[in-house]
Amino acid sequence: MIKVHLKIKRFNPEKDKKPWWGEYDVEVEPTDRVLDAIHEVKWNIDGTLALRRSCAHGVCGSDAMRINGRNRLACHRLIRDEIQNGQITIEPLLGLRVIKDLIVDMEPFFAHYRSIMPYLVNDTDPGPRERLQSPEDRARFDDTTKCILCAACTTSCPSFWARGEYVGPAAIVQAHRFIFDSRDQGAAERLEVLGDSNGVWRCRTVFNCTEACPRGIEVTKAIGEVKQAIATGKVR
Amino acid sequence: MSALISTVRASLSYRGREGHWLWLLHRVSGLGVLLFLILHVAGMSSAFISIEIHDRLLEMYKTPLFSIGELALAFGLIFHAVNGTRIAILELKPELWQKQQLATRLAIIIVVLLAAPTIIIMALGSINAFFGPAAGH
Repeated sequence: MIKVHLKIKRFNPEKDKKPWWGEYDVEVEPTDRVLDAIHEVKWNIDGTLALRRSCAHGVCGSDAMRINGRNRLACHRLIRDEIQNGQITIEPLLGLRVIKDLIVDMEPFFAHYRSIMPYLVNDTDPGPRERLQSPEDRARFDDTTKCILCAACTTSCPSFWARGEYVGPAAIVQAHRFIFDSRDQGAAERLEVLGDSNGVWRCRTVFNCTEACPRGIEVTKAIGEVKQAIATGKVR
Repeated sequence: MSALISTVRASLSYRGREGHWLWLLHRVSGLGVLLFLILHVAGMSSAFISIEIHDRLLEMYKTPLFSIGELALAFGLIFHAVNGTRIAILELKPELWQKQQLATRLAIIIVVLLAAPTIIIMALGSINAFFGPAAGH
């Protein structure tokens, strides 16, 4: 067991005028996850600490937060990989309103997600069985099927910090998943949404999103491919 | 205004990798070059209003503060051009994204190779003008 000093940014809008740092010493294994250390605080030191988490195994994407200044999933990062001089700093995601402590208002994020029609658009008769697709056509968008909507990419993006109306990397990744699906027929509508002033052109190719994605999705590349599809009018 | 402040604060507090810091420097250098253009156009235009004001401005441009500004301008221009080219290439060829760290290092090397001699020559010229035998004449 090792001692870890956790510095957690706290904010309760019902009580606090501005955010403050809560500091806690916990004993955890180096191979424990950052989430375990936060649980230690919540369960044994200060039950008022608020955070989201569900599966706690990197699948549901609900515990995205800033760990040592970078967007990460708390259930995805080990103590030994994050501890710096005996300390780990934890803050809520940037660019979204803090509801309490580590919980941010995800509604604007999901509104952007809904705006790109994240479902298969095809009104033709699928026939007696499912719509068939070649392995090559399936592979074309395989990478962007991995998104878990944790918002780590969108809230690491300077363009999103500056302008909340920007659809953001996650919505573009989700759009990419359908635009390049050979079974889908809604690409033109999605590209229209993404081609407007709050669409893909706000991306400045900073690569924060690619670096933040806990699923290793090539986010900036996907955004680049959508930009090309809009610029050339060709979906390849 | 509060959106601008929160964005600047977020940009400085987020611990992004090289792409993040180059983006920040790209913005700062872009704004710096824009400031120069405004000063330049305003300075040149002043000749239409009054030759005296124009001459006074030209004298002001010869002060050490503006000489340091010129060095920053040279760096800003070179950095903005080279980094802009890096971004344009990555935008046009998204499949090259895995080479982005290499592209970043190359951009930094090119900036240093272009900016170092330029700044040294300019700085030597300024030092000579302020402290050399012809200083004050």
